[in-house]
Amino acid sequence: MPRLHELAKTIRSKNAGVNQVTFDVIFPTRDAYRRVVESGVLSREAVARIYRIAPERISDHVQFELANAIKFTIYRERPSGSPGDWDTLGCQFYGPLVDVEVP
Amino acid sequence: MAGTRRTMRIMISTGHLGTAPSGADSFAAAIATNPDYLVADGGSSDPGPVYLGNNSVLGQFVEDELELFLTASRARGIPLIIGSAGDSGSNHGVDETVRQLREIAARHRIPKFRIGWFYSEVPRGVIAARLASGERIPGLGGFPELTMEEAERATRIVAVAGVEPFIKLLDAGCDVIVGGRCGDVCFTAAPCIRAGYPPALAYHMGKMIECASLVAEPFMGKEAIIGTISDEDIVITAYHPGQRVTVASAAGHSMYERETPFFEHTLGGVLDMRECRYEEVDERSTRITGARFVPDDPPTVKLEGARKVGERYMGIAAIRDPHVIRHLDAAIEWSRSASARTFRDVPYELHYHVFGRDGVLKDLEPRRDVVPHEVCIVVEGLAQTETVAHKLVDFATRMFFLARIPGSKGSSGLAACTKQTMRSSPGFVWNVNHTMTVRDPLELFPTHVAEAGV
Repeated sequence: MPRLHELAKTIRSKNAGVNQVTFDVIFPTRDAYRRVVESGVLSREAVARIYRIAPERISDHVQFELANAIKFTIYRERPSGSPGDWDTLGCQFYGPLVDVEVP
Repeated sequence: MAGTRRTMRIMISTGHLGTAPSGADSFAAAIATNPDYLVADGGSSDPGPVYLGNNSVLGQFVEDELELFLTASRARGIPLIIGSAGDSGSNHGVDETVRQLREIAARHRIPKFRIGWFYSEVPRGVIAARLASGERIPGLGGFPELTMEEAERATRIVAVAGVEPFIKLLDAGCDVIVGGRCGDVCFTAAPCIRAGYPPALAYHMGKMIECASLVAEPFMGKEAIIGTISDEDIVITAYHPGQRVTVASAAGHSMYERETPFFEHTLGGVLDMRECRYEEVDERSTRITGARFVPDDPPTVKLEGARKVGERYMGIAAIRDPHVIRHLDAAIEWSRSASARTFRDVPYELHYHVFGRDGVLKDLEPRRDVVPHEVCIVVEGLAQTETVAHKLVDFATRMFFLARIPGSKGSSGLAACTKQTMRSSPGFVWNVNHTMTVRDPLELFPTHVAEAGV
């Protein structure tokens, strides 16, 4: 079973404002994009399971077909750069997505 | 019609002034085409609240980049516009940037030019007056409504400017403009809107080029990009020979750093990108059409404020004993409870970043239960004075060396923590992340004009 790393062109996370982190998974082709969308491995529910969060903590989840991209945004535990937060830019939050297996 | 088509070209080589030098070759190639404006993003809220709260600057190459930009700008007569100066756009950040530019001008014997700047800090009295009149100041991103108590706890508050102060300074004949905190799209959109180009295209071009070469592929930072606006479209072009702006890279960048790929809020309205069309026009350029701009009435300004938590130190403890690693939570609890006993009379905060387990993701880490063979714990501690913070963090770190773990076979120290406890910046939190209506988009942003050069 291929992993997201093999199917996606870009897997990234980044601050969207000071209290949210947004994730972009962008595919090189419409086929790869559709395969992952249809597999459900990055659905709102699947993302909540991966990060062990309540679905309400996901503030937005969209399929952006023009860019062959799946995009979702979550609330942080505390605002970026607070004491106790290490990833001020949110740029490593995508880590757990890289090895997600895609049926 | 082709003969009457007018365009304006805007060049950018950095999405964050001073973090590293701009790529010299792509900068030279792009500036040689004599763009109409050279722009740079001096900062944002991205690096966290410390820079606003502490009036400090993140990048170590600010002076180098300002020198490159100012000398190129003045040698060719290309106006230079810098937004969100000094990382946070605080008054100090603006003043320091203006001072550096003046010094560079004097050093290079640059002939006299007009420099303009504007401030973005919001006096507390403005917020107090609004709240006293019963106005609500709603929070963004899950923040509750602003109260006077919370506003007063902020060390510093800035408002995020739109295009208007830049346009006012351009109207005043400024050759070089240093902006306080502003929307990332605005230092590019301002000259375009002033010249009469459609605001929707102007803001969208601002969005596309705000991070310079991050709009192109493959991934490269700090390389030059030129955006070209006409009355019908925008075209984004890469100037590093190894980079191209493609449909995929441009569409991908339109969703970068925002909650949704379709909307960008700025002072004055909302950029709607739902109907955008992208088309590659040559080997390194993509043409974009279809953005719409929906003005706000009344205009709404974003406020950003940082509250100081305390002075901060950091310590590092490294653990290789598998038995201790299997009982890591007990070791952390030992450090935490011993600190609570020893520092029971003073307010403090302690945070344990456990690298090798969940140091980056904390509560979001799905693999927290995997037992690594080695972990590094960064102890982050804050207190009201440097002395207490130093003592606290040194103690909490040493408690890993002295941890009492049942069944442990080690008796010479349960953590390697030989490096000295390190002073860090004071700790701050974002405590203002709100929006407020304004009657006039210039009312919070006083402008100034002076002469510089020799």
